[in-house]
Amino acid sequence: MGDITETLPQHAIERLKGLRDTSRQGGIFTSDFSVNEFLMVGEAGFEPLGLVIGSCIYHTGIQYAGWAKNQEMSVLSQAMYEARELAMSRMEQEAQALSADGIVGVRLEVKRMDWDKDILEFLAVGTAIAHSAGHPGFKGPDGKPFTSDLSGQDFWMLLQSGYRPLALVMGSCVYHVAHQGMFQSLGNLGRNVEMPLFTQAMYDARELAMERMQTEAQESGAEGVVAVALHEGSHNWQPHVIEFFAIGTAVKPIEDKAIIPERLIPQIVIPVND
Amino acid sequence: MSLFGKGKSSEDGVTEARQQALAEALSHGTVPSFVKTRLAETLSGKRPWVSTAMPSGLLASRSHGIRPLGLVSGNCWFHFGYSWTRGHYEGWHTAIDRLRLEAALLGANAVVDVTMQVKHMEGTGNEDHMDYAVRGTAVRIDGLPESSNPALATVSALEFARLLEAGIVPVGIAIGAHYDWLVANQFSQGMVASYWNQEWEALSNFLTQVRRQALRELRDDGTRLGSGILAHTQHSELYRIEPDENNPYLRFLARHIAIGTAIIHDSRSRRSLCIRPVINVSDAIRLATTDTTLEVL
Repeated sequence: MGDITETLPQHAIERLKGLRDTSRQGGIFTSDFSVNEFLMVGEAGFEPLGLVIGSCIYHTGIQYAGWAKNQEMSVLSQAMYEARELAMSRMEQEAQALSADGIVGVRLEVKRMDWDKDILEFLAVGTAIAHSAGHPGFKGPDGKPFTSDLSGQDFWMLLQSGYRPLALVMGSCVYHVAHQGMFQSLGNLGRNVEMPLFTQAMYDARELAMERMQTEAQESGAEGVVAVALHEGSHNWQPHVIEFFAIGTAVKPIEDKAIIPERLIPQIVIPVND
Repeated sequence: MSLFGKGKSSEDGVTEARQQALAEALSHGTVPSFVKTRLAETLSGKRPWVSTAMPSGLLASRSHGIRPLGLVSGNCWFHFGYSWTRGHYEGWHTAIDRLRLEAALLGANAVVDVTMQVKHMEGTGNEDHMDYAVRGTAVRIDGLPESSNPALATVSALEFARLLEAGIVPVGIAIGAHYDWLVANQFSQGMVASYWNQEWEALSNFLTQVRRQALRELRDDGTRLGSGILAHTQHSELYRIEPDENNPYLRFLARHIAIGTAIIHDSRSRRSLCIRPVINVSDAIRLATTDTTLEVL
């Protein structure tokens, strides 16, 4: 029979005996990490400092689009971008107040309000972290905390690959997809054809969102953007209005050679218990 | 077996006695005598041990010396007199304290596999009361003396063992719950009834303050227990309440509830996890996309 008590650290044994913990030097962190995430952030050499949040309740303006016209709804695009940016910047301010090196696991949520279709809530939540040894080489652009939507596990993996996160970058485009005219619809009856106007609308909207995200990454001085996701959605808008939203983590190579981890080579496995 | 036949004539008397014992125990913050007896008999081996673990969980008793003692539980059916939000704080804590009491009677070092459950009275449509219940398996770790202040963990015995090896002890459940009202005057309403993009700043600030206060409470609650909090549940709501005869102005109600596991850790005694990245080739589709998974716990 194994005896775990021989290998346990002192503070763990004391607590399990029912004694008060003595290892604490004041200060307690909060986070929305899972246990695995917490372990991996620690493994990466970082400490969680606290859960940080930013919120923005936003009234979106009104814009009318031509019924049969493909066009960007620039008022809404701006609204969706500005409100997210406001929520994010408030979250970053909180992290800065904690002297954090960065924020990981950032979630950006958009919530509708039942009582007003023009009012949306934008929420940014993440966990502020700091390098345990206080290495200065992990800050984001302009010496501010970096931001990333990568989980603790992915954050570790990113550092292993020799890169560090800079900023959560995003691009938004709200687009009105043209309605098809009566003659066009009749002409398509019984035929398999592409609907070029719809294709163009999707293409254009997607391209605008990605382009904006890429520009933002460029401005932050990034070499690349990882974990990019493209979301499509409607937030209480009329039919034919959709948002393309591109989001990812801008990264650059770790500059200080001394802290680049050794190369990890993934091992190929076949589970035998499937 | 005449389990049901035995003592039928005195059934009413027994029920009454049990109810009385329960009422007394609850009002004094103790465990009823018949529960105490059962737990004592379980501990002495007169009754079999009880565990919520699957057979794999029993591995932990051989590999790590973590032995199950018994199922412990606590509940609190709570009426929200003045606040639904604060009710969550009080209801959960009362239930958790009761579970801890049972576990302490067993001399458990920890309670693992703790689950949290709420229950509403079906069909009454009554929203102003509900039951908060927690249950888990009390365990004893070989080589350690009895504890009167058991640690609480929401993970299974095996995972608990792995966490201990990583220098982390999950100790309890921390809760932060806060709500507040905002009275919107005509000025702030008129501002947002417009055709252009703008932030409703008063409302943003209000909601942010409510959330921050709830998180501050979560941290304060966790400070009693450990050195860190891994919050798994976050819930916030914003309601708009129209003016009525008592309230001439439009009002907003915001609330935020955060629940997390409190842990004790010492970052100075951190050990490397020796992680190996692996590529799983058992799945043909995965082989194409090269999905890299991690072995952590």
